[in-house]
Amino acid sequence: MADSRIYSAAALSARAALAGVEPEPGVLKHDSILHVKGVERHFGGITAVNVDQLDIQRGSITALIGPNGAGKTTLFNVLTGFDPPDAGKWQFDGTEMSKVSAHKMAVKGMVRTFQLTKSLTKLSVIENMKLGAIDQVGESWWNALFPLRWKAQEAIVEKRADELLSRFTMGHMRDEYAGTLSGGQRKLLEMARALMTQPRLVMLDEPMAGVNPALKQSLNEHIRSLRDEGMTILFIEHDMDMVHDISDWVVVMSEGRIIAEGTPAQISENTSVIEAYLGAHQGNTMFEEKH
Amino acid sequence: MDWIRIFENTMRAFAGVDAAYFALAAIGLNVQFGYTGLLNFGQAAFMACGAYGLGLTSQYFNVSFWWGIPIAMVLVIILALLVGIPTLRLRADYLAIVTIATAELVRLVVRSVKFKRIFGGSDGINTFSNEFRALNPFQPSAQYGIWPFRYNGYTMFTLLVGWGLVVMIAMFVWLLMRSPWGRVVKAIREDEDAVRSLGKNIYSYKMQSLIIGGFCGMLSGMVFALDRGSVQPDNYSRDVTFYILTALVLGGMARVMGSIVGPMMFWGLYVFCDNFLRQLVQSAPLRVGGVTIIQSTQVGAVNYMLVGLGLILLMAKRPQGVFGNRQEMALDGR
Amino acid sequence: MVYLFGLFVLLSFTPTHASAAEGDLFVIAQVSDQTVTSGVSSREPVAGVKISVFDSAGSLVGEGISDSNGEVKILVPARATYSVKLDTSTLPNDLTLLTGTTDSFTIAEETFTTQTKRVSFFIGDSGVSNTTLVEKISQRAADGVRLGLIIALCSVGLSLVFGTTGLTNFAHGEMITFGGLMAFLLNVTLGIPLLLAAPVVIALGGAFGLAFNWLIFARLRKRGIGLVSQMVVSVGLSIMLRNMFLFQFKGRTRPLDDFSLQQGMQIGPIRITPRDLTTGIISLVLLVTVALVLQRSRTGKAVRAVSDNPNLASATGIDTQRIIQIVWCAGGALAALGGIFRGLDEQVGFQMGSGLLFLMFAGITLGGLGSAFGALVGGFLVGVMVEMASLVVPSELKNAPALLILILVLVLRPQGILGTRQRVG
Repeated sequence: MADSRIYSAAALSARAALAGVEPEPGVLKHDSILHVKGVERHFGGITAVNVDQLDIQRGSITALIGPNGAGKTTLFNVLTGFDPPDAGKWQFDGTEMSKVSAHKMAVKGMVRTFQLTKSLTKLSVIENMKLGAIDQVGESWWNALFPLRWKAQEAIVEKRADELLSRFTMGHMRDEYAGTLSGGQRKLLEMARALMTQPRLVMLDEPMAGVNPALKQSLNEHIRSLRDEGMTILFIEHDMDMVHDISDWVVVMSEGRIIAEGTPAQISENTSVIEAYLGAHQGNTMFEEKH
Repeated sequence: MDWIRIFENTMRAFAGVDAAYFALAAIGLNVQFGYTGLLNFGQAAFMACGAYGLGLTSQYFNVSFWWGIPIAMVLVIILALLVGIPTLRLRADYLAIVTIATAELVRLVVRSVKFKRIFGGSDGINTFSNEFRALNPFQPSAQYGIWPFRYNGYTMFTLLVGWGLVVMIAMFVWLLMRSPWGRVVKAIREDEDAVRSLGKNIYSYKMQSLIIGGFCGMLSGMVFALDRGSVQPDNYSRDVTFYILTALVLGGMARVMGSIVGPMMFWGLYVFCDNFLRQLVQSAPLRVGGVTIIQSTQVGAVNYMLVGLGLILLMAKRPQGVFGNRQEMALDGR
Repeated sequence: MVYLFGLFVLLSFTPTHASAAEGDLFVIAQVSDQTVTSGVSSREPVAGVKISVFDSAGSLVGEGISDSNGEVKILVPARATYSVKLDTSTLPNDLTLLTGTTDSFTIAEETFTTQTKRVSFFIGDSGVSNTTLVEKISQRAADGVRLGLIIALCSVGLSLVFGTTGLTNFAHGEMITFGGLMAFLLNVTLGIPLLLAAPVVIALGGAFGLAFNWLIFARLRKRGIGLVSQMVVSVGLSIMLRNMFLFQFKGRTRPLDDFSLQQGMQIGPIRITPRDLTTGIISLVLLVTVALVLQRSRTGKAVRAVSDNPNLASATGIDTQRIIQIVWCAGGALAALGGIFRGLDEQVGFQMGSGLLFLMFAGITLGGLGSAFGALVGGFLVGVMVEMASLVVPSELKNAPALLILILVLVLRPQGILGTRQRVG
C-alpha cells in the first residue's frame, strides 16, 4: 500500500490541505471550491437527498461513493441544475448557485458527465468536441451567417479539440461518427468534451462504468493529470480499486445522507461505512475488493 | 390518353409555383423538424401569417403592399412565442399538439364572420397584389420558356420571385447549418441534456429555430398569395402542413437539397397522378365488372389518398428520403 | 402494405350512397320550419308546400309538393341555370317565410357540378324568444355535458395508446369517423335499425382499432422505428383514411335514418330531444363503466400499470403486447360508438371525427397524457367549457377556448390534472 507514485505540486498541496482534516461527515475543508448546505430532494414520499453540509477541497480528487440508491446521482443532478432542490443552497467558488439554471453551470466553470453516456452519435467525434467550447461567436444565429466572423475562432477551437483528443489517444477517430465508437471510447469522448468547457470543477458520474480494464488504468492517469493542471474532480464510482487508487478524499452517502468522510485509508476502516454496504446487501464492500 | 399533355403538365409542375412555395415552407419545416427536432405541425399557420400580412395591407391598413413584410414578421414572432413559450420546455409531443391546435385556431379566426372586416372572412382578400403585378417585367399573356417548361408572363414573374427566394433562403439555411449554431441545434435534436451540460441555452436555440422556420413559412405564404392574387383561409388548413411534411420527407430531412427537391418531386408526382386519373375517367367513370371505382369527382380524393399512403411507406421503408443520410436520422433517438 | 390496398378495395365496393340511374340530374328543395327556443334552433320538415323549377328562359321545367321529409325532388334535363321558387300560397296557415330569407333561388350553371343540387327554404317565426339567462346557461351546460361525455368516451383510447406505447395517434379522429360511416352504411344504405346496427358498428370499430395496431404500429415498434417516425406515420394514415372516406362518402354530411328528426322536449330550463337525452345517459353509464373496469378489474389494473410504466409492468409478468392490443381494440370500439352518437347529433360526414381531434387533444392534455381517468375528466371538462364559451364567444369560434385551455395547462401544470409530474425541460 506504500504510495510510490510521483505527485505534482498541485496534488501535493491538495493532499497536504486534506491531511489534517477530521474524518467527520460534512467537515469543512481549508480551501473550498464547492460548499453545499442543507440540500434536500424528495420524490413523493421518498427522501432521495438530505445533505446537511458538504465541502469539496479545491484541487483534490474527491470520490463520492455509496450503495445503489444512496442519492449520489440525484445530488449531482441537483448541484448541476438538472433537478430542482426542495431546499438548500450551494456556492461554487463563492458564487451562489442554487438559482442558476443548468446551462449556465458550464459557463461558470462547473461541468458534469452522465451515468448513461450522452455522446452525440449523429455528430462526428471532432464535432462533439467543438460543441464543448463555450463563448463561441458562431453560435449566435446572426453571426453564423457571416463565416468570416467565426472562422478564426473555430480554427482555434478545433486545434484545442485535436490536442485533447490526442491526449486521450482518440485523435485517429476524429472524423468518425460518435455512434461508431465503443462504450469505453464514448466515455472518454464525453470526458474530453466536458474538458473543452475549460472547467474548474469536473463532476464525473461513474466514469469507469462499462470501461474495459485495460482502459481503466489510462483513464486513471487522465483524471490525475487533470488534477495536476489545477482542476478539482468530484466523481461517483462503484469501482473501489479506482477509488482507492486515485482519490485524495472520499465521501460516503447512504439513503440520501452523508455518513462518512475521510481519506481512502480512513474510510476502509470506518464501521458505519461497512454497515451501510453490508446492511444494504449491495455492491462489493471495500473489504471484499482488497486481496 | 394524351401522354404529351400529361408530360407537359408534370414537367411544368416540377418547376412550378406550387413547388416553389412548398420548397420555402419545407426549408422552414426542415430547420425546425429536420435539424432541431421540433415537431411543428402548424407550418400552415406561419404561412397564413405571411399571406394575411400582405392581405392586411389592403384590407385593413390601406398601405402599400411592401408593408406586408414587417407586418407578417410581427405576426410570425407573436405566433412563435405563443406556441413556443408553453411547449419548448416540455416533451416534443406537446409542441405537435399545440401547433396543430393553433393552426386550426388561426384558420377559424381569419375565416370568422366576427373578424371579417380585418381578415375578409371566408371570401378572403383579393385586393393586395396589384402593386406586385405592376412590377412584372414580363408580358402577362405572352408565353415564355422552352418546352415543356412553358409559362405565361404572369406566372414567370411569380416563378422568378419564388425560386429566387428559394435559392436565397436555402443558402441562408445552408450557411446556418454549417456553422457552430447549426452544430448546437443538431445536437439538441439528439440529446438536449448533453448540450445543456455544455453550457448552451436549449430553450433559446429552440425558439430561434422555430422563428427562423416560421419566417420561411411566412415567405412561402406570401409567394402563394401573390401568385393566386388572393388570400383564402381554407388554403392554410392542417393538411397543408402535412403535405409539406410529406414533400420534405420525400426529399430528405436535414438536407437543404432535400427540402428543395422533395417539393419538386411531390408536385411532379401529384400532377402526374392527377392528370393521369382525370384523363382516365374524363369520358366515363372507371368501371370494373359493372361497378364504378372512380368517378371524375373523386380524383382529388384518390390523389390525396396516395399522398397519405406515400408518407406511410416513406416513413416505414425509407425515412431518409432521396437525399437524406440514414446515419444522421436522429428521429429514432427517442 | 398489401393489406392496405385490400382495405381500400374493400371500402371501394361498399355502397354507401343510393345509386340513382346514371346521368339523372336533380334539383332537391328542402323546406324546413325553423324555431329558436332558449337560444337553440331546431328544424322540422314541412310537407305540402309547392316548389317550381324554371329554366333561364322562364319556362317551367318541373314542380312538386314537399313530402313528409320536407323534400321535393325535381328532375332536370341538363346542368344549366335554373331558378327555384316556393309558392307561398301553399304554406301552412300559421307559417311564413323567415324574415331575411327568400322564396326563390337561382342555381348558376357552374355550381351544378354533381348529380344533384340542393336548396333550402326556411319558414317559421324567427322571433328570438325571450330566453332568460338561466335558460341560456342551462341549455349550454346541458349541451356541454353531452359534448363532454362524447369527447371523454372518444379520448380514452387516445390517451391509453399514448400511455402504453408512447404514440400520439393523429389518426384517432378517423376511428370516430369510421364508426359514423359504418353506422350510415348499416342504417341508411342497408336499412338496418340503428339499435341492431349499433353493436355491430362497435364491434367493427374494435376490429378497426386492432387492425391499426396489428397491420401498422406493432410492426413499426418491432422494427425499432422511433416514436416520432410513428407519429408521422399516423399523420399519413390520417390523410389517407380521411380521403378514403371522402372518396366513398362524398363531401356532404348526411343524417342517419333512425331518430334523426325529433321534437325537442322541455325539461326544466332545457330543451332536449329524447335521442340526445338517451345518448347522453348511455355515454355517462359507459364512462362510469369504463372507469370502474379500469379501477377494479384485473385487466383494467394491468392497463393502468402498462400505461404508467411499461417496463416495470412487463417485469411483473403482465403481457404488455396483449394489453396494447386490448387498448387499441377498446379505444377503437369506444371511438366508433362516439361516432354513432356524433352522427346522431350532427350528421355523418367524412370529417366528423377529425374535427374533434383538436378538442380531444385539449382534453387529454388537461386531464393528463397517458392517464385514462385523465382523458375522461379532461375530455368532459373541455366539452363543457367549449359549449359554455359559446355564450360569450361567437359560435364559429367556440373551439378557440379549448386552445386557450391547452396553452394554460401547459404553462401552469404540464402534467395535467391527473398526470404524474415528469422531468421536464
